[in-house]
Amino acid sequence: MAATSVRPAARAALRCAPAALAIVLLALFPIFVTKPYPIGIGVSLFLAVLVGSAWNILGGYAGQYSVGHAAYFGVGAYTAVMLFERLHVPPWFGLPAAMLAAVLVGVVIGTITFRLRGPYFVLASIAVAEIIRLAALHFRGFTNGAEGFVVAGAPTLHLLGLELSLGTKRSFYWLTLALAVGAVLVSRAVRRARLGYLLLAIREDQDAAHSLGIGLAWNKNLALALSAALTGLAGAVFAGYTRFIDPNTVFSLTEVSVRMVLICLLGGIGTVHGPIIGAVLLVLLEAVLVTPRGLVTIGLLPSDSALVAFVGKWLSPAYLLVEGVIMVLLILFAPEGVAGLLRRVRARRRETAAAAPSPAP
Amino acid sequence: MILFLQSLLSGVLIGGVYALIGIGLTLIFGVMRVINFAHGELVMLGMYATWVLFVQLGWDPYLSILAVAPLLFVWGALLQVAVVNRALNALPQNQILLTIGLGLVMSNAVMLGFTSDYRILSTSYSSSSFELGGLSVSYPLLMSFLVTAAVTVALSLFLLRTDTGQAIRATAQDRLAAQLMGIDVRRMSVLAFGLGAALAGVAGALVAPTYYIYPQVGGAFTLRAFVIVVLGGMGSVMGAILAGVLIGVTESLAAVYVASGLKELVVYVLFLVVLLVKPSGLLGKSRA
Amino acid sequence: MARLAPTAVLAALSLLPLSAAGAPVKLGFINSMTGPEAPIGENLTNGADLAVEDLKARGIDVVLLKQDDGGKQQNAMSAIEQLATGEEVAVVVGPYTSASSNAVAPLAQQYEVPLLIPAAAKEELTRAGRSYVFRLNAPAHVYAESLLDAVLALGQPKTIAFVYESTDFGTSVSNAGKQLAQKKGLKVVADEAYQKGAPDYRSTLSKIKAQSPDLVFMVSYVADAILLMRQSREVGLKPQAFLGGGAGFDTAQFEAERTISNLVYSVTQWTPDTGWPGAAEFATRYQARFKKKPTYHAACAYAAVLVAGEAAAGAGGDPRKTREALARGSWTGVLGPVKFESFDGFTNQNRHVMPVIQYQDGKAQTVWPAQFAKRKAVYPFPGWK
Repeated sequence: MAATSVRPAARAALRCAPAALAIVLLALFPIFVTKPYPIGIGVSLFLAVLVGSAWNILGGYAGQYSVGHAAYFGVGAYTAVMLFERLHVPPWFGLPAAMLAAVLVGVVIGTITFRLRGPYFVLASIAVAEIIRLAALHFRGFTNGAEGFVVAGAPTLHLLGLELSLGTKRSFYWLTLALAVGAVLVSRAVRRARLGYLLLAIREDQDAAHSLGIGLAWNKNLALALSAALTGLAGAVFAGYTRFIDPNTVFSLTEVSVRMVLICLLGGIGTVHGPIIGAVLLVLLEAVLVTPRGLVTIGLLPSDSALVAFVGKWLSPAYLLVEGVIMVLLILFAPEGVAGLLRRVRARRRETAAAAPSPAP
Repeated sequence: MILFLQSLLSGVLIGGVYALIGIGLTLIFGVMRVINFAHGELVMLGMYATWVLFVQLGWDPYLSILAVAPLLFVWGALLQVAVVNRALNALPQNQILLTIGLGLVMSNAVMLGFTSDYRILSTSYSSSSFELGGLSVSYPLLMSFLVTAAVTVALSLFLLRTDTGQAIRATAQDRLAAQLMGIDVRRMSVLAFGLGAALAGVAGALVAPTYYIYPQVGGAFTLRAFVIVVLGGMGSVMGAILAGVLIGVTESLAAVYVASGLKELVVYVLFLVVLLVKPSGLLGKSRA
Repeated sequence: MARLAPTAVLAALSLLPLSAAGAPVKLGFINSMTGPEAPIGENLTNGADLAVEDLKARGIDVVLLKQDDGGKQQNAMSAIEQLATGEEVAVVVGPYTSASSNAVAPLAQQYEVPLLIPAAAKEELTRAGRSYVFRLNAPAHVYAESLLDAVLALGQPKTIAFVYESTDFGTSVSNAGKQLAQKKGLKVVADEAYQKGAPDYRSTLSKIKAQSPDLVFMVSYVADAILLMRQSREVGLKPQAFLGGGAGFDTAQFEAERTISNLVYSVTQWTPDTGWPGAAEFATRYQARFKKKPTYHAACAYAAVLVAGEAAAGAGGDPRKTREALARGSWTGVLGPVKFESFDGFTNQNRHVMPVIQYQDGKAQTVWPAQFAKRKAVYPFPGWK
């Protein structure tokens, strides 16, 4: 009896082992590699996992395709930075404040937009994010307008008696790694909890879910709150990392809202690991396209590489061209993303394996 | 009072061009039920085509409409056949993402070809105007309004009086029924997308002499076009005309009576209010 | 530049343990080579290129590592990071825009690499007590000061309206303008900030016209400057004078738009006819080389790269020593005398005088101050043709 109950647990532990190993390796990485370029890519990657997982909770599980998540990202960024710059609130409090602010904004937006369905919801989500961006540009007395904020000093994060200086790339590397792991765990927990099933039911058929007594507004808002909180957190960390924010960056339709959707679309919308796959692919692609010289600084390519020169001249200014092409191809040929493709391949292999006589265990 | 009338007038004249962009979008939506998020990029292509014709061949922007419209028609039809048509049965959300992707491709391809420099098209009439009862009427704006009116009338005649036009309208009303009646709905879809693109191109040519031209200029038009189409009722041509003018006037008055920096914000707020209060739009039929 | 005044050459020589023997000195250069500001950025690149040639001709071997910020602060920030930590340059010249400079300045201080700002106006750039940040050009308040002094010498305007893009540059110059205008007894009757990218200013300009201001002060980059003037003509805005705050109002493109640029005033950092040593020759050379007139941006970048190159060579390419050389040295060249001083809350700020130009029949003419003026200013504005 005991043996049978242990075995699934052991198997589960075994299944988690590769992920745990990967996390440990990633955490050790900056100890061996100190070049700023790969560390910077790591930070972008973890932030992408964070925002992707955040979007996925609302867009993937609940099927509410928000193309306005820049609203939460930007509000998070502005909250943390303004608290720090104006009121000298340390980032340790700034981060939760950013999450809270994003949730508050989310609840307001949710109340307005969740009454709309399908394309109307998408349009409304864009409109709301644009309204916030334009307001942030206009009300200069409050937000500094287009001038934005330069985060002057490097704040120190006091955490469990440790002093983590937020001035170095490495500290951001570890911080964002921890947050990305946390976000994936939250996403996984939601997926497996009752909320996850309710959200899927809402995604598949809102009216049917409603007639089964599932509270549409409450559950959608719950998903939005979680999603907004994580996105706001990402915005706040991003602000601390880049040390400069302005409305056109953190409230950007293409560079924040659409990019979040693209991460999930690329990996696989509605799956726990989709945003991770999508983030890895997209960030690596962006790294090669946007900063090809980085490949030279880490010694992967010679400094006179024709490839670097070509990409730098032709593709870097328009890396969104490549992202656009990928988006089009994905929707046409692989709307379930890389995760969906893998699943299809695996299913086919299982079919062939089932057809062949398998040896007894 | 003069100030009010003046901004009302500019608003109406600019609204005409907005209406043209909105009509194209609403036509595409009507026939295919696809929300074309790359619509502003089609306007942008029209602007660049006009600019190239002006700089290289010295064509007047209004004359270049004759070349830009067919060019964009072919491009739109091509996009429909090669890309959009394959996604007709996809989720509406995915269709939006698809056309957002198409828009990114277009604007960034243009950026590679033309760099992201702002281009300005200087004609002899770029800043000319005449007085009318104490109001100054911008010559290029008036021209674009008149061309818009002519194009709209021609389009309405086409849709109402010709067999093909009737077929497009039938497809928009009920795709399945149209198919059963022997209408080639695929061809109608290609035609509608081509027409929508051509209208966007014409709008691009019309604004080129008074706007500046850069690869990302389309985004602002896309968002305005949506507001117009939703406001007017998805698929309603008359609604798009009305809403276009309404948006032009709203922006113009908001710049004067609210703040220059807030005119777009006011438009989005108006949009949200309409979405929530009367989601079918001003002239749209209610949706199930 | 053989025409550089002897004092400068001496100053440079005295610092030199001539680095020409060793590896070339690395200079960083951050500029907006693509993006909306690219048409102006091009002038800076040209100016910098000429300066490198002149440095080499004088035996100072430099390489100029150019980085493009595309008009975006983030790109400028990663550019200086790359230049300071990856390439380990001695000094960085740039960025062009106020916004990018504002983002880059704290990083220059952090990485301890001297930053020489050639043309950005935002007041605060050199007001934060940063020892590594230097500015060659005059800051925002001088823009407003020169323009208002010029028109107040020409007539008796009573009211003024401000239209500006809401960026670091636009708000900086117009804020300084508003304060100064009030101090000089002018009444501010309109204060309109606009977002760039939606270029329909007719309603805004009609609103201003309804106030019938004596002066209209505009601050914009290239494309908006042209559209603002076009639409001013359309709506029939007719003040006593249109005042342009440099940037887009001081470019060849603007000058070429004769119908709308005529009799517009603009403040500028530089004109060829100021009599500053080498200024006229620089203009001829530039014209011959690039087939167009140099703008003040070109002259500023040229002078900045010369100063930076000399200082860096004298310091043997070491950033800290280059900083000291910049702080101590003095130069004379196309931008007149250059010395980085601390005064009135500024640190490492060159006290630069800004001339005022007026477009007369498609040509920019220096009309103020008296010692530089070559033409009589036309005041008031007689109306549109």
